Amino acid sequence: MTAASVRIESVTKRFSGHTAVNHLSMEIAAGGIFGLLGPNGAGKSTTIRLIMGILEPDEGRIVLFDSPHKSRALSQRIGYLPEERGLYKKMKVLDHLIFLGETKGIGRADARRRAQAWLERLGVSDWALKKVEDLSKGMQQKVQFAGALLHEPELVILDEPFSGLDPVNAQVMKDIVVAIAAEGRTVLFSTHVMEQAERMCDHIAIIARGEMVVNGTVAQVKEDFGGRHVALGFTHDKALAANILADRALVAHVDDYGASAELQMADGADPERLLAALVREGVGLRRFEVVEPSLHAIFIAKVGADAASAHAGVAA
Amino acid sequence: MKKVIAVVRREFVERVRTKAFVISTVLLPVFMVAIMFVPILLMSGGDRTSRVAVVDASSTGLGQPVSHALESEKIGSKPNAKARYTVQVFPATSEDVTKVRDGLIAKTGFSGDKHKDGWNGVLVLTDETLTTGKLSYYGGNVGSPESMTKLQRTVSNALAGVRLGKSGVDAALVKRAMAPADMDTTKVSEGKLTGQSGQESFLIAYIMGFILYIAILIYGQQTMTSVIEEKTSRIMEVLTSSLTPFEMLLGKVLGVGLAGLTQMAIWGGSIFVLSSQRVPLAGMFGMGADAAQSFPIPSMPPGLLVVFLLYFALGFMLYGALYAAIGAMCNTIQETQQYAIFVTVFIIVGFFAVFALIKDPTGPLGITMSYIPFFAPFTMPVRWSLTSVPPLELVVSLALMVAALLACVWLAARIYRTGILMYGKKPSWRELWRWIRA
Repeated sequence: MTAASVRIESVTKRFSGHTAVNHLSMEIAAGGIFGLLGPNGAGKSTTIRLIMGILEPDEGRIVLFDSPHKSRALSQRIGYLPEERGLYKKMKVLDHLIFLGETKGIGRADARRRAQAWLERLGVSDWALKKVEDLSKGMQQKVQFAGALLHEPELVILDEPFSGLDPVNAQVMKDIVVAIAAEGRTVLFSTHVMEQAERMCDHIAIIARGEMVVNGTVAQVKEDFGGRHVALGFTHDKALAANILADRALVAHVDDYGASAELQMADGADPERLLAALVREGVGLRRFEVVEPSLHAIFIAKVGADAASAHAGVAA
Repeated sequence: MKKVIAVVRREFVERVRTKAFVISTVLLPVFMVAIMFVPILLMSGGDRTSRVAVVDASSTGLGQPVSHALESEKIGSKPNAKARYTVQVFPATSEDVTKVRDGLIAKTGFSGDKHKDGWNGVLVLTDETLTTGKLSYYGGNVGSPESMTKLQRTVSNALAGVRLGKSGVDAALVKRAMAPADMDTTKVSEGKLTGQSGQESFLIAYIMGFILYIAILIYGQQTMTSVIEEKTSRIMEVLTSSLTPFEMLLGKVLGVGLAGLTQMAIWGGSIFVLSSQRVPLAGMFGMGADAAQSFPIPSMPPGLLVVFLLYFALGFMLYGALYAAIGAMCNTIQETQQYAIFVTVFIIVGFFAVFALIKDPTGPLGITMSYIPFFAPFTMPVRWSLTSVPPLELVVSLALMVAALLACVWLAARIYRTGILMYGKKPSWRELWRWIRA
């Protein structure tokens, strides 16, 4: 049993009138990438701010590294990229990174060396002596990213790290996150982009309305979700498939993307029967594959259902 | 502590690097030079020797004693000083006085080398001059009160001498009788001479009050602005995850304060250099030593300097913490105004109390205000410079200041803790109270 980096014990946080986080419990084990997923307003950022000690929980408690200290005392071991990015606009990039390093308790000379190395790594070393305000948004985000990682923290908490980045920069960030995990450090990041989480995370938690919906390793979550799923890719005559896909004895649920679709088979239905029917009707297929359910499908199903049951609860 | 130093350094370096800081730091001494020398330059009309034509239309030969008196005037008090005037007497009669005068006026008032034989002024003496003291002067420098006062004084003395001589008074006696009174004022403290002149301690009191007023108003507000900036740029969230509110607050107030002190030190240094070097400087501006000497040098005794710096630092931090707390409560500069006005009122009352104190430094107003921490930074150094303050009073006042400072920083840190992450709504007074208690 590895030690937990973060242990959240039945934490509740209320803001005037509404409950942002409701009796949430979870454990983030040391090492690996942990994805905190949820729709907008689910309480992801509030949870992260609670972990960071920026907000105090109304109920419950949060333990970091199994230590009795609060996150501020442990801040040398934690790197944090907030959702609301912010830097001193008038400061020079290098000076800014040195300052951020110093606030984490690194000596000045050491901070300078590390800052230069990070700027090099992120391909923005030409901008080291420019003011932050002269940088593009994407570059500012890289700088902030470097600021969060400068002190080589063993726990890295990233709130929506990939939002607002172009594919090239997103790739750079992704590589860094993966490299951190490969070094045995812990990464916790929040996102609502499921594909990313699916590809990167070892462990995920989906929260909605401040409550835990799904929690576990990606494989576990998929297995628990169950059912047989088929991914389809159409070339022509997709309209001919409409009747078959509407057959509830065969297909339980369709997620239609136009040129492709993800199906959940009805209980006991055989995917081979589906394929035979599609071929018989003359639907042009470029892909037919029995797959694990995508995180996206699980998310939609779970959060959608959660929303529905919440409504039912209100109605009852 | 290392983190606080990092915050202090950042605040200081970023502030000192701004163009606004550099420009204001350099411009003020330039203005000071201008303020010191331009009026002197304008008023003195020259410590150059003036060429004066004396038109003597009197029947008693007044021109002779007047020109003699004028010629004996020197510029400055050195033995080899230049004569203030070169004089030529033009005798005239009451009939042709106008003609002679107008002929001379035609050659008067040319600047510099244009008219080598031109006159700086024409002095017209008539019989009436001796009886009623009435005489006329026509010149290019009549706009300079200093020159006119000097000229008038010299002529008056000459006339008085002539009148006394006519009444049979001995010339040597006249000269002795006419010697002017020359009063030096010196401040006494606890039965000891302090070496300051009355004018100097007044000037010092005024300058100290003014420096504190300006520093707190400008730099206190900067502390507030910089907190607002951190809130709007959202950098606060990163900072607050690694720094305690107390560290942030302390670092900010100290950093901004140091930047302010640096500027003050540069300004103070240039005042010192300017005033100690004023004679050569005046020379550079083409003025004689005499004009520059009319400017008093304020010198600060070490005891006063210590008291001033102590109160300056304490006062600055006290107000800085309050301003920072206001910044934490608000989201925009506009919003801060309604809270900042309370603080500003304290500063203004403190500053204007200095004027009352200069008149009556030992009165109950001054003593009371020295015990109120918000006013003490203004009143105490002024009282110290003008009178002798009992040591116990100083100790009590300082102790109260330190206590108030700790209370204010504690209060501000409480507000800071909650306020810095509040975006959007401005807190009501009741909410504010909750933040403090929380």
